Amino acid sequence: MSAPAAAAGGAAGAGRYRQWLGLAALVVVIVLVPFVLQGFWLRIATGVLMWMGLAVSWNIIGGYTGYVSFGHGAFFGVGAYTVAILMSRFGVSFPLALVIGGVLGTLASAVVGPPTLRLQGAYFAIATWALAKAFEQMANVLGITGGPYGTSLPPLINDHFFYAVMAVLTVFTAVATFVLAERSRFGLQIKAIRENEASAAALGIHTTRVKIMAFAVSAFFPALFGGAYAYWVTFINPQSVLGDPITDQMIIMALLGGLGTFWGPFLGGALLYILKEVLWIYWSNGTAYLAIMGFVICLIVVFRPDGLISFFQRSNARQPGPQGGEG
Amino acid sequence: MDLFLQTVINGILLGGIYIVLAAGFSLVFGVLDIIDFAVGEWVMLGAFAAYFGQQYLHVDAFVFLPVVFVAFFALGYAIQPIIFRVVSTKTHLPMLMGLVFTFGLSTLMKGSALTAWGYNPRSLDTFLSDTSLALSIPGLRLFAFVFAVAATLLFIGFLYRTRTGLAIRAAAQDRDKAALMGVRVKDLASVVYGLYAGMTGMAGVLIGAIFSLSPQMGAKYTTFAFFVVVLGGLGYVPGVFVAAILLGLINTMTTVYFNASYSFLMVFLLLFLVLIIQPKGILGRGT
Repeated sequence: MSAPAAAAGGAAGAGRYRQWLGLAALVVVIVLVPFVLQGFWLRIATGVLMWMGLAVSWNIIGGYTGYVSFGHGAFFGVGAYTVAILMSRFGVSFPLALVIGGVLGTLASAVVGPPTLRLQGAYFAIATWALAKAFEQMANVLGITGGPYGTSLPPLINDHFFYAVMAVLTVFTAVATFVLAERSRFGLQIKAIRENEASAAALGIHTTRVKIMAFAVSAFFPALFGGAYAYWVTFINPQSVLGDPITDQMIIMALLGGLGTFWGPFLGGALLYILKEVLWIYWSNGTAYLAIMGFVICLIVVFRPDGLISFFQRSNARQPGPQGGEG
Repeated sequence: MDLFLQTVINGILLGGIYIVLAAGFSLVFGVLDIIDFAVGEWVMLGAFAAYFGQQYLHVDAFVFLPVVFVAFFALGYAIQPIIFRVVSTKTHLPMLMGLVFTFGLSTLMKGSALTAWGYNPRSLDTFLSDTSLALSIPGLRLFAFVFAVAATLLFIGFLYRTRTGLAIRAAAQDRDKAALMGVRVKDLASVVYGLYAGMTGMAGVLIGAIFSLSPQMGAKYTTFAFFVVVLGGLGYVPGVFVAAILLGLINTMTTVYFNASYSFLMVFLLLFLVLIIQPKGILGRGT
């Protein structure tokens, strides 16, 4: 795995292995957590994993490619509803339903991606947002989704099982994103599109195809997480899996950690989710979380637009690493 | 036939309020290149300002229309330098940063309002609250319509008939060149954002008087503002007249002839389709 990576990049050998070491450390921590945490805290850890994975997937289109999707919750919802409907109405087993959910989420993105990705900047943001709202309203009026009353899944109470599912999905997302965005031609192509789309096209990059691929990849993982989430919480409705907060948090976590960086979304996802849960546990307050989150976003945008990860990168600045590509 | 006529009238009256909601929003996009996610929250805050004013002073809610305009103008004027700084940073995506900043602002406003005032809806009282004219045109809605259209016409008159308005339109076309011609773009940006906050706050008072107000009301009006501005052509202020009336008609038509729950689905699908097919708006005059 590391041989082609080292060959592709040239000079900076040590920096590249450090990234793999970081990933390995992440996997070790994820494996060890169930031995330390139980019950409630294990469920918190499961949530942390899910949100890290979601932030990492949003970062592919929003951070690396520079197309800010305000509608990624739609794909989470497609995955969630697919699993819920297949399991509760058709008796499909969970693993199969999850895979179908992931495929359908990707298909949805492949259908809406081509027309939407012709738009840029604010137009793209509003179009994806409108689309996600349309998905939510669709789930509200369709019969098969149960409308506003939602859908229940066969309940399964097994904290370790869901932790394991989320852990596998998160590690899968992390490794796939790392290889695609940081260690492949595709990664260079999407970054080129972010920097200057016209120049990228002039250099022979098929920008439309690359953007559609990036959109599809970043929709695939949320669909999987949505499916796992539906089975985990056993009851979903349009608001809980298609509402604004899903997309909003994906964006904010990626931004808080650092857009277009590999480790940023992990940091942002973990920090924000833990903040939210702590506020809930100690003050049983969900609305103050909104206010604090909003304030934090404003502060980050004004003072640290490169995200919290930039605090750590400063000390590494002298070493030639893969992160140094920003010029 | 009567039902149809009534539906059309209701739609037009409803659309009038959306005009004032979207006019400032459209200008902010045109001049500052900012999509303000907080537009609905300005509406909410405007409504609440009138509500608390009424609680303490026991006067008609419409007295607060000018008060809210002035206060919100000042607030917007004060906030704008931060936004200007955000969209002028040398990051990858200054536009995105503006979008995310206003999104943070809206989350902050909504979260604070929910924490302070809870989920319960409230209502405003006006001298027109229960009056009704011929063919069941509620006096309140007619007043709101007339006021909204008049305020927006004044606003457009300011844009097209004064030197400041000329400078604003010049800055909208090309910020750098306008600055070279001696337009103080930074100050102007604050005026524009102040005007926008003031107009939107007034829309909040009207909406609060007609419907009800709660800290959660914002999201709906953000949706409507986006819809109206995209349909009218982003940045093209006169376009909001057509688009806002259209939105009002869509709202009442789907509610009367189909089902209220389809109303939002129609709005969002149409918004998406217009963006895909005709991103410059139905009049083709947007930026």
